[in-house]
Amino acid sequence: MATTTSRRSEATTTATKTRPQGTTLRLLLVWVVLIFGELGLAARLVYLHVVEAPVLLAKARAQQLTPLRPFSARRPIVDRLNNILAIDESVYTLYVHPYLFNQPAEVVATQLAPIVKRSVSDLTQLFKTAESGIPVAYELSEQVVDQIKGLQLEGLDLSQERQRLYPQADLTSNLVGYVNGDHEGQAGLEYSLQKQLEPVARSAKVSFDGQGVLLPDRVPLNLIRADDQKLRLTLDTRLQRAARAALKKQLNHYRALRGTVIVMDVQDGSLLALVSEPSYDPKRYYQADPELYKNWALSDLYEPGSTFKPINVAIALETGRVQPDNVFYDEGKIAVGGWPIQNNDYAYAGSRGPLSISKILEYSSNVGMVHIMQQVKPAVYYDWLARLGIGHKVGSDLPFETAGQFKPKAQFTSYPIEPATTAFGQGFSMTPLQMTQLHALLANGGKLVTPHVVQGVFNSAGEATWKPDLPVRQVLAPTTTQAVVSMMGNVVSRGTGKPAQIPGYRLGGKTGTAQKAVGGQYSSARITSFVGIFPLEAPRYVVLSVVDEPKGDDAYGSTVAAPVVKSVIETLITLEGIPPSHPAEVHPQPKKQ
Amino acid sequence: MLQSSFRHLAWKSWLRPWQKMDWALVVLPVVLTLLGGTAIRSAELNQGLTDWWQHLIIGGIGLVLALTIARWPYEALLRWHWLVYLVTNLSLIAVMVVGTSGLGAQRWINIAGFYVQPSEFAKIGLIITLAALLHHRPAASIPAIVQVLAVMCVPWVLIFLQPDLGTSLVFGAITLGMLYWANANPGWIILLISPIVSIVLFNLPLPSNLSLILWGLWVLAMGITGWLTIPLPLFGALGGVVINLISAGVGHLLWGLLKDYQKDRLILFLDPDKDPLGGGYHLIQSRIAIGAGELLGRGLNHGTQTQLNFIPEQHTDFIFSAIGEELGFIGGLGVLLLFWLVGLRLVMIAHTAKDNFGSLLAIGVFSMLMFQVVINISMTIGLAPVTGIPLPWMSYGRSALLTNFIAIGLVESVANHRRRRKY
Repeated sequence: MATTTSRRSEATTTATKTRPQGTTLRLLLVWVVLIFGELGLAARLVYLHVVEAPVLLAKARAQQLTPLRPFSARRPIVDRLNNILAIDESVYTLYVHPYLFNQPAEVVATQLAPIVKRSVSDLTQLFKTAESGIPVAYELSEQVVDQIKGLQLEGLDLSQERQRLYPQADLTSNLVGYVNGDHEGQAGLEYSLQKQLEPVARSAKVSFDGQGVLLPDRVPLNLIRADDQKLRLTLDTRLQRAARAALKKQLNHYRALRGTVIVMDVQDGSLLALVSEPSYDPKRYYQADPELYKNWALSDLYEPGSTFKPINVAIALETGRVQPDNVFYDEGKIAVGGWPIQNNDYAYAGSRGPLSISKILEYSSNVGMVHIMQQVKPAVYYDWLARLGIGHKVGSDLPFETAGQFKPKAQFTSYPIEPATTAFGQGFSMTPLQMTQLHALLANGGKLVTPHVVQGVFNSAGEATWKPDLPVRQVLAPTTTQAVVSMMGNVVSRGTGKPAQIPGYRLGGKTGTAQKAVGGQYSSARITSFVGIFPLEAPRYVVLSVVDEPKGDDAYGSTVAAPVVKSVIETLITLEGIPPSHPAEVHPQPKKQ
Repeated sequence: MLQSSFRHLAWKSWLRPWQKMDWALVVLPVVLTLLGGTAIRSAELNQGLTDWWQHLIIGGIGLVLALTIARWPYEALLRWHWLVYLVTNLSLIAVMVVGTSGLGAQRWINIAGFYVQPSEFAKIGLIITLAALLHHRPAASIPAIVQVLAVMCVPWVLIFLQPDLGTSLVFGAITLGMLYWANANPGWIILLISPIVSIVLFNLPLPSNLSLILWGLWVLAMGITGWLTIPLPLFGALGGVVINLISAGVGHLLWGLLKDYQKDRLILFLDPDKDPLGGGYHLIQSRIAIGAGELLGRGLNHGTQTQLNFIPEQHTDFIFSAIGEELGFIGGLGVLLLFWLVGLRLVMIAHTAKDNFGSLLAIGVFSMLMFQVVINISMTIGLAPVTGIPLPWMSYGRSALLTNFIAIGLVESVANHRRRRKY
């Protein structure tokens, strides 16, 4: 073996020797190529690893880390019983990119057509309009999206969007408001409580891998744990629904322009219902009259008329110039500062002679009220009105509130007609909401509460994470207001408020029928109202109903508005389970055999 | 004592068959294979692939194979080189008939569950065939070169048809390297490459007429080269000019036939940002990963781009980007150094081989390996277009790994059967 190898080696030596002289040169050239090749690569490595490294490293980081704004739903709005009034849901828009189709456009169209409910030819035509980015269907639900994904087609793109649902639609739209296409609140609480409704978006940088899959390593915990907070209202949707039904009935019957019903808890000013009609569908807000976006119960002013008389009585009593048992002479018609003032029923009732304060309220006597308020100096009277907030906003949590109109003090004190008209609730204006607030003041023992519909923001454990600031101001003495409330009880039991009577229960109330001032002149159009305080013995609720421009000769506060209040209080009795104070009236004693 | 010396003797006699072997040339591929296996594991860590251990097993088999071949006198192949050539071509034809498709080409044969890629083994077949031919008849004459080119043409066309652009380029590199070493006139080699240069120069998108001027100069230079190197000067000069003129024209015509995206694929490496999500994606991602490694690297299994699978096919052709990111500049330079040492040893053996056949075998293997190293690494660092050429010993690919170890075995046989040790 060894010998053969060596022999063969010798044989090949000659071949080696036949190499030309350039062998060393050739070897050198190979060396040069080898060294320069490697050096070239090494130089490029230096460039990438040292010179370009910071840039490339930054690029790598940028690819891996993408700022992610967590998909945070706008917080839901619920009523006091956690019924949903507004909630976010995910909807999808389907886009197609025909250039990415892995199947003929016709096949894609045939498969999609039944799901998106469009015809095949329609879709086929649509797919020809562009190479990519053709919107095919909007507002697709999760179920539809699952169906589309199940088709396993290429070239489809589903983009997720948020949509705000309003299950109660126009029942609560005057309070809740609506969001526009960009999910921004435009009216109601959606507008005024934007900050409380939009959870703080915690932007985080999260990593993605090369296939675009989200990696869990950097995802913050609070990103996964969804925001569980909701905005809870003081509203009772059941009451709201009943109140609206009662109001609508009267609006239709009297072909009225508009109406409102407000139910307030007198102790804290929370609103259990606030209906204002007409209303709008928050989903189709763009079809509604923009005038409706603001809630007229707090954005429009009216002259309260007779419903303001109990407030005046309270002021008169509080000043000490008038005692509850004082008697005033009702001429039926008087002149103040050269202006005639008469009772509404002067035409057939004439002069009623001497009347107690309670009787003045029961008959809703304008002349009697003028005489009561004449006991108070105009300047003192003015100051009291100002202290009650007349001419100011009540500061509720609903947006677009308007401040009432009130004459300047100089004018009020110089012209006797000013305090005189104010005495029966004309010559100044306020919102229905402020009217409710003032009656709550009578009902709760003299506290000026802040009207509101929001309880606060609550998490799933029921803990409040935000509560509104609700100042309460004691303005009148409880003895004063109790005296007035009992007089209002007489109004319902004996006076103009009789239509609001509820067997077994006692309530206080006051009617109001005012002429509407249009362009500085009083017109024949009326604005009728009724305010009720319930239960009379220990007031918990104030219910105000205002109906604007009812038609017909019998359209008065007692006929138009009082039945609405009565109906609402009946609903309250049922919902709250309030026992009758006079059970005998509801459960007549069975006759003994 | 006696026993110990006996043992010593036994140890020595056991090693005798490999006495003159170049141990560095065994150790270097083993180191590269281990490094490759580690990098493949890292690249596959988050891909759900666990076949990295196969790389090490095949590497082990390859090592045994190489050591076995090293014992065996390579001269025997001189007698069988036509058989080698026949088997090579038959295996390539077999691929066309019963091959399995993958990645847009028909390259694999399923043998008892193992996918074998004959084009890898064909490289060795070509090296043996050309070494034998050139051993008998050095490339000092035109007919010898024509014969070599004709012989090389058959497997080359078969591979080109698969299509496997990468391997066909390696074939070209092997052939040119061996022709050069077998005393071919350097001018002829330049003339062989000249059409490609001519096409590139003619179609270069340079401002004004610069590319035309450069091309004109090149054609002129080739004419002169032909005049000086071809035995019939006039014919040579004319041939050089005409070939370059025609190839430029044909190249231009072919270039015009290509679709825009095809053109882009070829020249995209110059500016991968032109198509960052398409053809440029691979190049950009590889470059980013390597750069992100900085001087010392992100650490093994800690390269973010690698672990987050930003680089497609990273465990095969783009394994160098994993090294670049996780082991940094130091690691990349280390790999270059290892390959440089491999090249160094191969040239050494080519220089010290006892005969032309051995010397040419070593140079053939040298050409094959070094071409693949340079083109593969260039591709990962943005100096060459993406052509499926794996990095020897490091890229995942069982056929390629075995081929490279067999090649080393052949060269070790050349080293082992030298007349004396020479370093």
